[in-house]
Amino acid sequence: MAYNSPYRAAPQVNAPPDQTFLWNIFQRVDKDRSGTISDSELQQALSNGTWTPFNPVTVRSIISMFDRENKGGVSFNEFAGVWKYITDWQNIFRNYDRDNSGFIDKNELKQALSGFGYRLSEQFYCTLIEKFDRQRKGQVAFDDFIQCCIVLQRLTDVFRRYDTDQDGWIQVSYEQYLSMVFNIV
Amino acid sequence: MSFHYGQGYPGGSHPPPSAPYGGASGPYGGHPSAPYGGSPHGGSPHGGSPHGGSQHGGAPRQPTAPYGGYGAPAQGGQYGQGQGVAPAGHYGGYGGQPQGGHYGQHAPAGNIPPGVGQEAFQWFHTVDTDRSGYINLKELKQALVNSNWSAFNDETCLMMINMFDKTRTGRMDIFGFSALWEFMQRWRGLFQQFDRDRSGFISGTELHQALAQMGYNLSPQFSETLVRRFTVQGGRPGIQLDRFIQVCTQLQSMTQAFREKDTGMTGHIRLNYEDFISGAITRLM
Repeated sequence: MAYNSPYRAAPQVNAPPDQTFLWNIFQRVDKDRSGTISDSELQQALSNGTWTPFNPVTVRSIISMFDRENKGGVSFNEFAGVWKYITDWQNIFRNYDRDNSGFIDKNELKQALSGFGYRLSEQFYCTLIEKFDRQRKGQVAFDDFIQCCIVLQRLTDVFRRYDTDQDGWIQVSYEQYLSMVFNIV
Repeated sequence: MSFHYGQGYPGGSHPPPSAPYGGASGPYGGHPSAPYGGSPHGGSPHGGSPHGGSQHGGAPRQPTAPYGGYGAPAQGGQYGQGQGVAPAGHYGGYGGQPQGGHYGQHAPAGNIPPGVGQEAFQWFHTVDTDRSGYINLKELKQALVNSNWSAFNDETCLMMINMFDKTRTGRMDIFGFSALWEFMQRWRGLFQQFDRDRSGFISGTELHQALAQMGYNLSPQFSETLVRRFTVQGGRPGIQLDRFIQVCTQLQSMTQAFREKDTGMTGHIRLNYEDFISGAITRLM
C-alpha cells in the first residue's frame, strides 16, 4: 500500500547528512552526555519557530517511534532516523506555510493533508484545528502539525485494518472499538 | 494513485514521513479541547464529591447494558478515607518528599487561594522547584513515582497535565495542580484496593476484577491484553500506578465516545472513517 511505504521511498532528494555532522549535533543535544537523547533534551533542541516550547507530546511520539529498546530516549544510531524524520517534516511544513508565518491555517492544512491523499470534510478540518491548535491562534504550528499528522496516520492505519472490504465503514463491538483506540493510545 | 472509493484514505502519492518500523505506540492526540477534557461523565476528576454517590459498590450500574464503565474516581466512598492523608508509604506517589517542616519554608502560610486544599498547596510549592508558579512536565515527573520508586511514565504525566492545564500552556497553575492532587488521591486509593497482593503491580486478573467493579463489562482476555500492552518492557508483568491511571482514564473517555454512537445500546456500532477518526481525536488525551 502506497501510504505505508517507508519514508526512504518518499520523494525527498536530500542527500543523507554525513555521520560527523550528525555526531556533532548529537553531542550538542545530549547535554548530560549519557549517550541517549531524552525527551527533555530533544525538546530543548527543537524549535517550532514561535518561541514557545516544542510540544512535548510530539517529542514523545517521535522518540517512541525510534526508541527500539523502550529506554525512554534515542541512541546515536537511532538519532539519524529522528533527524531525517524531523527535517522531512520541516520541508513539508515549509511548503505549505506559504507566508512563512510559522503557522499553517485551515486551508494550508487542507492542502497538506490532501497532498498526502486524505479526503476529509470541512467540518473535520475544524475539528483538527480545534484539537491541535495549542496556541489558540486558529492555526497550527510546526510541532502540532507533526502530531496531528502522526495521530491521523495511526488512526487511519487501525481503521484500515478493520475495514476489510474497504468501503469506508466498519462495524465493531465495544471491545473491538476499545482495542482499536488503545492500539494507538 | 488516488482513492477510487472516496472514503478519504490517503492515496499515498506524497506520503508523509513515516516511522522506520511503525512501532509507534506513542501517546495522545494532543490536547483536550476543554481544560478538563477527558471525563465528561460522572468520573470527572473533580466532578462530584469524592464522598458522594455510592454508585457502584461492586455491581455494574446497568447490568443489562452491553458495556458499563462509568469509571471510577468520582465514585468515592470506599476510598474516601484517603482524603487528606499524605501520600507516602508503599505506593509512593510524590517522591523525594521532604521530611516534616521542610516544605513550610517556601510555602507561604495563610496565602492559600480559595478552593485549594492546604496539602495540595504545600505540595505545589515543593514540586514547583523552579518557583515559576507553574508545574511543568519535568517537575511533575520528578515528583511522581510508582511503588517501586520508578518515575511515572511520560504519557501519563502528559495526559494529566493536559487534563488539568487550565492555562493551555503545557503546565499547571495552583488550581490545576490542586485538582490533579485530588484526582491522584482517588486513583491511588483505587489502585491500592485492587492490588490485592500488594505487589505494586496490577495483574491481568486484578485488572479484570477492577474493571468489573468499576462497571465495565469486558472479557478477561481484554484485561490480559491491556496488561501486556502496558507492562514495562523487560520488567515484571503487570500495570503500575502510572499506567493504571492512564488506562482507566482513557477507558472512561473512549467508553463515553462509544456510548454516544451506540444509541440503541446494542454493544455494536457502525462507523465511517471520518466518524471514527474525529471521535477518537476529540476524546484522546
